[in-house]
Amino acid sequence: MFISDDIIKRRLLIDGEGGNDDKRLNNLLKMFIRWTQSPVDEDSNMVYQRILSTISQCEYTLEKSVKVYQMNLEEQQNYETLNQRIENKIEEATLKITECKSELQQAKRIRKNRQEYDALAKVIHTHPDRQATTKQLQSLDEELKTFKDRKQKLEEKLDSRRKQFLVLITAIHELQAILDEDEKKAEIEEQKTEEMETS
Amino acid sequence: MQEQSLQSRQLYHMTIFTQCFSPCGKYVAAANNYGQIAIFSLVSALSPEANESSRLPIYCFKGCKEGAIYCLTSTDTFLISAGEGDICAWKWSDIHNKAPKIIWSLSLPKKGVFTNPEVNSIVVDKQEQATRLLAGGGDNDIHIWNMENGQLENTLQGHEDYVHSICLKNNGRECVSASEDGTVRIWDARSSSEAVHILEPHKTPMCGRPEMGKWVGCVAMDHGDDWLICGGGPKLSTWHLRSLTPTATFDTPGSCQNFVMYHEENVISGGMKPCVNHWYVNGDLKSQVPTTSSSIYNIAVNTVLDQLRVLSVVGNSCKIDVCTNFGYKAFSLKFVPS
Repeated sequence: MFISDDIIKRRLLIDGEGGNDDKRLNNLLKMFIRWTQSPVDEDSNMVYQRILSTISQCEYTLEKSVKVYQMNLEEQQNYETLNQRIENKIEEATLKITECKSELQQAKRIRKNRQEYDALAKVIHTHPDRQATTKQLQSLDEELKTFKDRKQKLEEKLDSRRKQFLVLITAIHELQAILDEDEKKAEIEEQKTEEMETS
Repeated sequence: MQEQSLQSRQLYHMTIFTQCFSPCGKYVAAANNYGQIAIFSLVSALSPEANESSRLPIYCFKGCKEGAIYCLTSTDTFLISAGEGDICAWKWSDIHNKAPKIIWSLSLPKKGVFTNPEVNSIVVDKQEQATRLLAGGGDNDIHIWNMENGQLENTLQGHEDYVHSICLKNNGRECVSASEDGTVRIWDARSSSEAVHILEPHKTPMCGRPEMGKWVGCVAMDHGDDWLICGGGPKLSTWHLRSLTPTATFDTPGSCQNFVMYHEENVISGGMKPCVNHWYVNGDLKSQVPTTSSSIYNIAVNTVLDQLRVLSVVGNSCKIDVCTNFGYKAFSLKFVPS
């Protein structure tokens, strides 16, 4: 009657479900021994049937526990494969993350460069078109040329007029000189005639 | 009781002007208008068990005898601070051992008896041949010292009013400065002649905001040295340096930007509004992150360590906002001098 904790623990460990298996085996043994001892009559047949049913019950529990053990093994296998698959997926995902990170960096850099180009383009746009300015320069050059030509022509005209005036003025002076001489000659002759008259 | 009220009044009136990450990337140093420098540990502030006390400074010391500290920068071994006193260098190892002493100090050459110009911005230029320190401040000039022998190598003169901010260009060969006189000047750092280029944002109709003034408070160069971004009284704008023309403006109505930086294809700026602006380089606003300080003086991103990659913002309050995801503020460190 000294049922200690260890014995209870051991009993619970050994027994599968409920505490019946051990009791059933003990019962079976007792029944068998009683049956072998008892005389052959209708009661013993019943006991015999009862023994057979107890045996089949024990066999049934045995089969069940064997099947449960196999099922556990298979479940474990299943979980192992699942674990492995998940680990592989995690590795792939981390690789992808690092790739994406570097892509992100690249994209950020590209965006920054694009923004810088845009800013420069805006500044460039404020300045006038190169073609327009070259056209303006060309037209200005042409205008300059025509003005220069006109200036030259006018200068030449001025020169020739000046020469003509010079010729005219020298002719006038010469004429003036001749006329003065003539006047002087005429005066001298008058004086001479006056002197001749008075003497 | 009086002590407590004095301390709380000090906290209320504190302005943190600048900050700097340590060379290992695990600590951040911040300096305020009382001349104090506080060191915070990012590792403990970001850890899952962080609480109120891990957001306080792990160490705090007086970096400037009297006056404010306006700028901090760091080399591999030194933390360099400058403000209303001399430019002082402290060893990071001494600071971690809680016994900082001034290893060396440089002072601006005095021009008169009563002048005491402050230093507004310092930059370290690390080259193979020599490491140089450039400083710009109240005397309208930019001084360049050789850090190895402490000699004043060069002085760039030309600004007509004090210098707000300087930055380097072309691998340290050129220097860009923004000043109160409304110009951004690009200098050849080796020679002491006049500025190579002068940009006047306040004169262009695109950027000028006469109601805000002509001063330019912040300037930054992009990595490829093609673009310069500057802001202040005039609108924050990017300039294409080959043609010296402004290309895009960033609209901050009613707010002058005090700090700007390029970060990973975007622009981050902060100014007189209580928010950090993230922009695309063409002027479109990407996001605005609200901050505790109502004006922002400095923004820094910790690029040293990947797992401690944070954006930290300081301004005219005693709180330093730290963002792990740059889209929102994660928590604030509190500058409480112990």
